[in-house]
Amino acid sequence: MTENVYVVSAAMIPFGKHRNSSYVGLAVAPLIDALRGAGIGKSEVDAVYVGHSYGGMMTGQRITKEIGLGTVPTVNVDNACSSGASALHEAWTAISQGLADVAVVIGVEKLTQFGGGTLPLSPEDREVRQGLVMPAVYAMRATRYLHENDVGVEDLARVSVKARRHGALNPFAQFRQEVTVEEVLAARPVADPLTLLMCCPTGDGAAVVILASQRARDRLGIGRSIRVAASVLHSGQVEEGFRDMTKPEISYASARDAYAQAGVGPEDLDVIELHDAFSIAELVYYEAFGLTAKYSAAALLRDGRTTFGGDVVVNPSGGLLAKGHPVGASGVAQVAEAFWQLTGQAGARQVEGARWAMTHVTGGGTAGLDHGACTVHIFEAA
Amino acid sequence: MAGPEAVPSLPVADLESDSLLGTFPEGRRLVGTRCGQCGQLMIGARVVCSSCVSRDVARVALPATGVLYSFTRLHGLSGKHSGGEGVRPVGYVDLDGGVRTLADIREGSTPLRPDMRVELGTDGDDWFFTPAAGQ
Repeated sequence: MTENVYVVSAAMIPFGKHRNSSYVGLAVAPLIDALRGAGIGKSEVDAVYVGHSYGGMMTGQRITKEIGLGTVPTVNVDNACSSGASALHEAWTAISQGLADVAVVIGVEKLTQFGGGTLPLSPEDREVRQGLVMPAVYAMRATRYLHENDVGVEDLARVSVKARRHGALNPFAQFRQEVTVEEVLAARPVADPLTLLMCCPTGDGAAVVILASQRARDRLGIGRSIRVAASVLHSGQVEEGFRDMTKPEISYASARDAYAQAGVGPEDLDVIELHDAFSIAELVYYEAFGLTAKYSAAALLRDGRTTFGGDVVVNPSGGLLAKGHPVGASGVAQVAEAFWQLTGQAGARQVEGARWAMTHVTGGGTAGLDHGACTVHIFEAA
Repeated sequence: MAGPEAVPSLPVADLESDSLLGTFPEGRRLVGTRCGQCGQLMIGARVVCSSCVSRDVARVALPATGVLYSFTRLHGLSGKHSGGEGVRPVGYVDLDGGVRTLADIREGSTPLRPDMRVELGTDGDDWFFTPAAGQ
């Protein structure tokens, strides 16, 4: 019998270029705020899980020592862009199995340390040695997707327009200016057909959530919480032959398993925070999550069914395209957004009456894999 | 209870042959690996079959022709062959033998499009794919 697990607090800094902050400087304030938000002291924490990809050795311990949170297990988790959500999955596993009652999950990343450009990938990877960069992966996905159906580059631009419109409502977002389809298409080309405004920005960020068992939540008198209805982590499976890049199977499979675990379907969801690192991703993930049939994602977007007032609000935070994408922080930031949405704390971007939320983040560019990792969580208002 | 003496696993020298381009009796071709047990064909010089986990694998020449599955033009992005601020076309080529490779694409007068036939070209130690004759 597994324990019910709840998210009982969330905090994060606005994503952006925080050049004067270290990993510690990025994460310590939301760590303190998340503990205060839950109304608990550090002595209640049984374990700490920290997602990051570029923080170096002992990033988690460097952060937690600042508030004297030691002795308990601190685990650093690297799964590229899925690091934060993978850390959350580990915390959920520990609590659901009764190994911990209260766990802190930190997602943190400082991308300005690289001075710009695309994400550094592992030079041990064959395609990386050939010069592959992440925009190229998504651009080739876009080229193929556009080739196989009547979707145009304007539809890719509409994803960015929606993201910016949502981000304009979010004080945590890196970009809060709206853009038009024309502006997106006229932006500097990055990797055809993707322009700069179809790509997530480089930035820094940190987000923290507190997870607790039902027993701990009740014992500590924590009022505001959401239930973790599903926590799924998949790894990529090598394909030596011809992979269909328009059907990213790791996201299809992760969503399928998450729906089964939660006992809900796509029609039940009110909010989705998905991995829109590049605009094409949002379209293929509509299809991966069963929101619509294959090759009909653009129509769903055009008809306004994935924005406020639609069937389900996708990326009310602005998503990676507008809120920003500090790799290891993104998965935890998505969960913070789900927490605020399902507890009525999302301000101007609140999805009215939201009861179910799903978060999704993939990780890594690795030759032969769709992605290296994929994490999907489903949450229910408590 | 005593068991068989533990023997060391040995590291795989997978950094010895980094280049995908090799010389074969049929000419310069991309290097592939075929499993002697299950027949799986893989890109690059590999030491174990990713399907049946056999170490009985052999270096083979991959076909020099295939289909351009997808492509992009990178604009001034960092990368091994980015050429600084220039435009670099790259694509995934589905080789006739059944494996896919990332490749630099050299454009001629024929506009690139998915599903077009392409063929391997070499220039010294550099290799690339270009639209096949008749495209």
